Amino acid sequence: MFKLLQYLLILILLHISLEAYESEDKLKTVIVGKVAKYISWRKRSEDSFVITVLNNKYGTLFDEVYFDKSIKSKPVVIRYIDNIANLGDTDILYIAELEELSLDEVLDISKNKNILTVSDMRGFAQKGGTLQLYFVGQKLKLKMNIDVLQDEGFHIERTLLKIVEVVEEEE
Amino acid sequence: MKLKITLLSSLLFSLVLSAEEDIYKKSMEDILSMESEIKVNLGSRDGARNYLHSNTPIDVITYKQIDNSGLTSLTDVLRYFVAGFNAPETSVADGTDHVRAFTLRGMSPDQVLVLVNGKRVHTSALLHVNGTIGRGSSHVDLDTIALRSIERIEIMRDGASAQYGSDAISGVINIILKGMGHKSSTAVQYGKRSSGDGEKIYADAFVSTPLKYDGFVNLTMEAVGVDSTQRVGPDNRDNAPSIQTRVGQAKSKNYKMVVNADILNKNSLNIYSNAMLNYRDSEASAFSREDTNLSKPLYSNGFLPIINANILDYTFVVGAKGKLSGGTTWDLSNSYGANYFHYYVKDSMNYTLGAASPTSFDNGSLNFIQNTTNLDFRKKTSSLNFAGGLEFRYENYSIQAGDEESYTSNGSTTTVGGSQGFAGFTPENEVDESRTSVALYIDSNIELSEKLKLEILARYEEYSDFGESTNAKLALSYRAIPELLLRVSGSTGFRAPSLAQANYSQSSSFVDDNNTLVSQGTFTVEHGLAKELGATDLKSERSKNFSMGGVYQPSKQLSFMLDIFYIEVNDRIMLTNELDVSDAMRTKYNVNVQQARYFTNAASTQTSGVDFKIDYRHILSNNSKLDFNLWFNYTDNTINYSDASTDNELEQVRVEEGQPSNSLRFLTNYELSRVNIALNLSRFGEYSQMRENKVYKFDAAYTADLDISYKITRATKVAIGGTNIFDEIPNKWDGLSGDYYGENGIKPYSRYSPFGYSGAYYYLRASMEF
Repeated sequence: MFKLLQYLLILILLHISLEAYESEDKLKTVIVGKVAKYISWRKRSEDSFVITVLNNKYGTLFDEVYFDKSIKSKPVVIRYIDNIANLGDTDILYIAELEELSLDEVLDISKNKNILTVSDMRGFAQKGGTLQLYFVGQKLKLKMNIDVLQDEGFHIERTLLKIVEVVEEEE
Repeated sequence: MKLKITLLSSLLFSLVLSAEEDIYKKSMEDILSMESEIKVNLGSRDGARNYLHSNTPIDVITYKQIDNSGLTSLTDVLRYFVAGFNAPETSVADGTDHVRAFTLRGMSPDQVLVLVNGKRVHTSALLHVNGTIGRGSSHVDLDTIALRSIERIEIMRDGASAQYGSDAISGVINIILKGMGHKSSTAVQYGKRSSGDGEKIYADAFVSTPLKYDGFVNLTMEAVGVDSTQRVGPDNRDNAPSIQTRVGQAKSKNYKMVVNADILNKNSLNIYSNAMLNYRDSEASAFSREDTNLSKPLYSNGFLPIINANILDYTFVVGAKGKLSGGTTWDLSNSYGANYFHYYVKDSMNYTLGAASPTSFDNGSLNFIQNTTNLDFRKKTSSLNFAGGLEFRYENYSIQAGDEESYTSNGSTTTVGGSQGFAGFTPENEVDESRTSVALYIDSNIELSEKLKLEILARYEEYSDFGESTNAKLALSYRAIPELLLRVSGSTGFRAPSLAQANYSQSSSFVDDNNTLVSQGTFTVEHGLAKELGATDLKSERSKNFSMGGVYQPSKQLSFMLDIFYIEVNDRIMLTNELDVSDAMRTKYNVNVQQARYFTNAASTQTSGVDFKIDYRHILSNNSKLDFNLWFNYTDNTINYSDASTDNELEQVRVEEGQPSNSLRFLTNYELSRVNIALNLSRFGEYSQMRENKVYKFDAAYTADLDISYKITRATKVAIGGTNIFDEIPNKWDGLSGDYYGENGIKPYSRYSPFGYSGAYYYLRASMEF
């Protein structure tokens, strides 16, 4: 009987999935690339998929997650900037923190450049950002501003729209 | 042997695999269904952080655990989930039957600070003055808070007066209310005890309304109706009345409402507010007794005085926070809270009024008001996080007298006056006292190196009544290897004498160890009688805390937490013994009591022990989740009296042995798509109570709680379950033969029993999200 229980325990242990409590920061960095797969950019950089992180607060997480990864069949390049003036060509702008400028000023600079702006700041989507990350309980949730996405010329797959909460920009 | 090796290696293999997993390979849906780390706000003004990375021991209970428990009161949630948390259920203990006292690590209830969303909660107006756990203390009434409004409960097992001020000696409980994004829901639950009594009807509704920019207004309403249980023993008194004393849980109706709101404007100015309202109508009995008015009795078969507590409690918090241009965040808030505890006694009489006595009485009320204003600042740099702030607090405590019939002796010096069961507060007891306090505090988190972090906290506080107190805390954490965090902290703390301890006075009658009715009075230290008996002005309690331990997390699924602690409290405030009052004193001070007591800085206590926790999550290939949480607590309390007026073995036994020195909680949860099974096992260690100069020991006991729920649809769920499902009952007084307290007496069980004595409770629940 005891041996049977031991075998059962082994069976259970061997069926352990690889999922566990992940850090919020890691989930946020990972989801960016996942969401990108459901979005079509109007203008796209030729030979790489660029994610620019403004005021990085995630250490080396972006580098670790996107090392040797590709999005839209292009290798991912991570760039870190402390000043939005150095934005340059990018597919995604991840706004980790605001320091000198307000959110409005940062979004103004990235406006009409077909850049997917992402942040976990509260109210980000309704304030003119395109993709907002937030947690309810311990689950990651997404909000997208459909008006801004359309204005910026993105095409969003229906599958993604079923998962995210769609919000409109508040005037 | 081979089997064991295979078992061990498969376990290690799975753990290693999990550590190396690349979650980027998962689908987006899978990532969105993953659970993130649990973050806490408690313990630092530095913002939320993973509770396993904290430099002081912190534990968390999530709303999911609460939802899957069938528990309907916050006190019970903590009792069944936290090793080292104790909350006995009393009966025939006056006000204590209506506001359950609770302790952390066997210390006094008023040495636990309770916060809601990080803001101090006011205490109950009730002062426990009977011989229960928590005697002599006023504490936060945890059952004023609606369970369904809670997102998580954070419990810090460390002193934190240097951070939060008075009371944070044995620990801090921070209740985080649900924020944005939670689904609206409603639930009903019906249950009763295995013996058929103690019926409980519970209903709640949680409604969340989103506002612009991720603002929200959440409204929670909760109603709980509980019928009494009856676990009385035989009444062998001479001329025992035919009506039985009610021994068991109190009968109560409890209505709670919580509003939590957050409003953001486009410039990120954040206005927040929460309000909590609770009204409780609770009834418990005193001992049944005979009508002494033999010529014209009001009650021919004796009577059972019912003590009825009407408790109104509310809190209103409003605040604003934002960010200055240099990156400094600010937070200005005001919190106003009040607790009104109104005593009524019915089905009773005042012996001294004879046949003219009313049977129902208004016995007066206890009232406590607290207003706290805080202004906090926080600034982050790459290696230093600095926070500081100011706090201004106003407190008011008052006692209002009851009807004259509830307290009068009608001129009698031989018969105990006042309403039987609980005498009303007299005009002499009336008091209306206020005080203010101002505090200034700083909190620095310094990253000395990538592995070494130091937190320094200091707080200066000045009270208008008892003076000033300066406290500090140092906490150091060292990440020796990525999987291992070592931590050590030391702090000083204090607890200001509560206004209730400084101003409470009342007279009552009780049955002593010799089964004799005795009249007794509690007096303020200012009262002439107390002064003549030796009372001096109250000082604050002073504490020193030390804790050391660490967290070993070999994988994200598994963590081990081990912490040892030592807490020394000096000048602990306690009630004196019942001191004899001479005839001369009675005449001199015009009091009609045989015994008197008052509060005094009576003793020093030493509390030491260890907490050991294992948290493990196991995910099976069918995507079901199995969670194990094991928590063991060992606590040793000792007391040394410095005041002869309090030196007695009864109190010593209560402090040192009255609560389990060891406790174990083993929480398991299995979740498979539509089904959730929660099975929680608890071990309550042995405890002792002194009666008639003898120490009686009560055995350790195990209880099991089970909750099985099934999702009928995505939004609708039904559940069946029970607490203490195997109907564990504490053993009775072994060899005690008293009529009131005894193996074959009216109260056969100790009032210290950490899991009550009403037995198993079974329930059905239905809930719906919308």
